[in-house]
Amino acid sequence: MAQSGNAGTTATKDQVKKVSEMSLIRTFLPIVGLIIVFLTFNVLTNFRMIKNMPLVLSQIYVTMIATTGVFFIMTMGGLDFSQGSILGIASIVVCLVSKVSIPLSIVSGILAGAMIGAFNGYFYVYRKIKSFIVTICTMFLFRGFIKYMTTNAPVAGSASLINYDSTGLKVVLTLVILVIGFVLFRYTKFGTYLKAIGAGEKAAMFSGVRTDLMKFWVYVLSGAITGFAAFVNVIKVGSVTSSGGNQLETQILIALVLGGMPISGGAKVRFENIIVGSLLYIVLNSGLTMMGFSTQMMQLIQGIVFLVFVAIFADRKSLQVIK
Amino acid sequence: MSEIRLQVNNLCKSFGITKAVQNVSFTINKGEVHALIGENGSGKSTLTNMLTGIYSIDSGTFVLDGEEIHPKNQVDANDHGVSIIVQELGTLSGLTVAENIFLGHEDRFVKFGIKNTKQMIKEANELLERYGFDRIKAQRMIDDYNFEDRKLVEIVKATYFDPKIVVIDETTTALSQEGRNELYKVMDRIRESGNTIIFISHDLQEVLERSDTITILRDGVYIDTVKSKDVTEEDLKRLMVGREVTGDYYRSDYGSVISDEVVLSVKDVSVPGLLSNLNFELHKGEILGFGGLSESGMHEVGKAIFGASYDREGTVKLADGTEINDIPTAIRHSIAYTSKDRDNESVVLNQSIMDNICLPSLDELSDKRHMLHDKKLRSFADKFAKEMSVKMVNVDQFVSDLSGGNKQKVVLARWIGKDSDIVVLDSPTRGIDIKVKQDIYQLMDRMRKDGKSIIMISEELMELIGMCDRIIIMKDGMISGQIERHETLDENNLITMMV
Repeated sequence: MAQSGNAGTTATKDQVKKVSEMSLIRTFLPIVGLIIVFLTFNVLTNFRMIKNMPLVLSQIYVTMIATTGVFFIMTMGGLDFSQGSILGIASIVVCLVSKVSIPLSIVSGILAGAMIGAFNGYFYVYRKIKSFIVTICTMFLFRGFIKYMTTNAPVAGSASLINYDSTGLKVVLTLVILVIGFVLFRYTKFGTYLKAIGAGEKAAMFSGVRTDLMKFWVYVLSGAITGFAAFVNVIKVGSVTSSGGNQLETQILIALVLGGMPISGGAKVRFENIIVGSLLYIVLNSGLTMMGFSTQMMQLIQGIVFLVFVAIFADRKSLQVIK
Repeated sequence: MSEIRLQVNNLCKSFGITKAVQNVSFTINKGEVHALIGENGSGKSTLTNMLTGIYSIDSGTFVLDGEEIHPKNQVDANDHGVSIIVQELGTLSGLTVAENIFLGHEDRFVKFGIKNTKQMIKEANELLERYGFDRIKAQRMIDDYNFEDRKLVEIVKATYFDPKIVVIDETTTALSQEGRNELYKVMDRIRESGNTIIFISHDLQEVLERSDTITILRDGVYIDTVKSKDVTEEDLKRLMVGREVTGDYYRSDYGSVISDEVVLSVKDVSVPGLLSNLNFELHKGEILGFGGLSESGMHEVGKAIFGASYDREGTVKLADGTEINDIPTAIRHSIAYTSKDRDNESVVLNQSIMDNICLPSLDELSDKRHMLHDKKLRSFADKFAKEMSVKMVNVDQFVSDLSGGNKQKVVLARWIGKDSDIVVLDSPTRGIDIKVKQDIYQLMDRMRKDGKSIIMISEELMELIGMCDRIIIMKDGMISGQIERHETLDENNLITMMV
C-alpha cells in the first residue's frame, strides 16, 4: 500500500511537470512568436514597419477594446460572431447622435452595443440556443440593418468628431478599458467565476455561482465594450459604410487564439492573451500588406496561421464544453 | 467439470494515476457461476469492462478456451462469445425492443443492403416468448417500458446467442423480487448448458446463494478465490476489507441523545416525477441517512434541500425561517452539498485545487473593496487541503489529475473552509478506497460532535447503518419508513422497506 502510494506521487509529479511545460509553451510561444514575426517583417521590408509604427498601431485600438469583451465571453466557453455587426450598428448610432452631442453619442454607442449584447444573451441563456448559432444569426440580422441604413449614402458623423482623432486619446481609451478589464478579471470574483463557468458550468452552479445571470450580463458587457469601441472607430473613419465593422469578429477570434487563448475558455486563459494576440494579429496583417500580398493571399496565410495556433492551444480535455 | 474457460493473466489498467486493476490473475471454469466481489473501486467493473471491450487493456491477457482475445468493443466481444449486462441502463432509447436485442448484429437480417425488419421482429418475439417475457413486444419502442422491463430485454440481448461467458454486473439491485427470479432462472439455464457466468453483486448473501466460486478483489489487487460452500458472509467481508471489520470503521457509539433543536425543516416538498410530498426535520448534531434504490428519489432529496431542483414545490426552511429556494441562498446560509455526480456537479475538473476550494468562499476572501489577493487564496486553499490531507503536489494542480478519493477530499475541504453548519452528502464514499472512506467517516463523526448536522444519502446500506442516527428509507419518491440507530440493525431491516 505504501509502495503504491509512493508510485502515485511520482506519477503525479511527472504529470505536473508535463503540465507546467505545456503552460510554459502557452505563455511564451505567443510572445516569442510576436518578436520573431515583428523582426522578420522588419528585415523583409527594410525596416519600413518600424518607421510606420503609428500607422500600424492605428488599426489596433478598436480590435483591442472589442477583444477585451469577447475575452470574457470566451473565458466562460461562449463565442460571439456578431461583434462586427455590433460595431457597425453602434458606429451608426454614434454618428447620428454626435450631431446632437458628442458625450451623448459615446453613451448611445455603449447602449446600442449593450442592447445587442442583451439580445444575444437572452437567446443564448434563456432560450438555450448555442452561443455561436445565436450570434451568427444576429450577425446577419444586424448586418442587414447596417446595409439598409447605408443604402443611399454612408452615415456620416458630426464634422467636429475629427477633432478627437488623436493617437493620445485612443491610447488612453484603450488603456482604460484594458486596466479595468484586467483588475476585474484578475482581482475580483468576477474573473474566477468566469473561469469556473468555462471549466465546468454545472459544478460552478453547484458552488454558488449564478451561472445564467453571469452569462447574460457578460454578453451585455461585451456588447457595451464594443459599443464604446464604436466611438474610437468613428473618430478615425468619420462615417459608416455598409461594410462598417465587417470581419471584426474574425479579427478578434484570430487575435485571441494567436495570443494563446484556449478556444474553449476555462482555467487556462490569461488576460495577456488579449494584448499579445492583438499585437501579433496587427503586426502579421500589416507586415503581409507591406510585403505586397493580395487580400486573397493574406486570407490564405491567416487561415493557415490560425489553424496552427488553434491546434497548439486547444485544450482537448475540455473541447466538448464549447457552448 | 472443472475445465478452464477463461484465464486472466497479469491484467493491469490505470486511469491517470489511479491503478484500477493491478496485476490480477485467476481462472474461471466452465459451467460455473463465478462471483466477483470487492468494495467499490476494487476493480470488479474495470476488469469485466476490459473483458467485454468497453475499456482497452493496459497490459496482461484474457485467454478464452485457450485462445487469447482482445475485444475491441462490445460487438467484437459478443463475436468472441462474451456478453455483459451492465450496471446502469444498457438499452438505447429511441429504438424498438427488437432493434435493441439485435444491436450490432443487424447484418443477419440484411439482404442486398435492405434490412428485413419483419423478420427481425418475428425472431425477437420468439426469443422473448422463449424467455417467458411475452408481455414485452418486440415491435414497440423500448421507451414504452420501465426500467425493470428494459433490464429484462437486456438479459435477452446478452444471452440469446448462447455466449460462453455472460457478465452480470450489479444487475439484481435494479430488479424487484420477480425480476430477480427471472434472472436467476436464466442464470441456471446458462450454467446447465455448460457456459459460464461472472456475477458481480454487493449483496453477499445473494452471492453465497447463487455462485459456485467467489473471487475477491481489493483496491485493484487480487486477494483470493474461494468455494462458496466453504465460506461465510463474515469471511467474505474480512477478505474484502482486509482485516476484521470492527466498530472503529464506522462510529461506535449507540444511544446518544439527539438535540431537540431543529435546524432544517422540509415541508410538502415535491419534484415532478421524482419526489412527492416529502416531510422531515433535521436536528442539530444529527446524522440523518437516506437510503433506497437508486431510482427511489433519494438523490433528489439532496438537490431539493440545496435549492438545485427544477420545479420544486413545497418549502425548505431553516430554524430562523429563511426559505431556501436557490443554491446561492443555500450556500450563504451555511448549507453545503456534495453531489453523487462528483466530476460534473461537485468539482470543476479543469481548474486548480486552489480555485475549487476557494470558489464558494470568495465573498469572505475578498477585502473591503471586493478585491481578491492570490496570497490569501493560496493560504486558505492550502490550509484546508492539508487539513483534509489531499494527496497533491501543490494547490495549483488541476483537480482532473486527482483520484476519486482525493477529488472528494477537495470537495469536502471547500465546505469545511466555508464552515457550513448543514452538510448534505450524496454518496460521499462512492468509488472511494477504504482508507479514504475511513477518513470521511471520521470527519463526519467529528463534525457531528461539533454540532453540525449532516444528511447522508447513500446506496450502501452498511454505511448508513454504521453512521446514521436516523435512517429514512425512500421508495418511489416517497418516504417508506424510518429507523433509529441501533446495534442490532442489519441490512434486511432496511431492504424490506426499499422493495
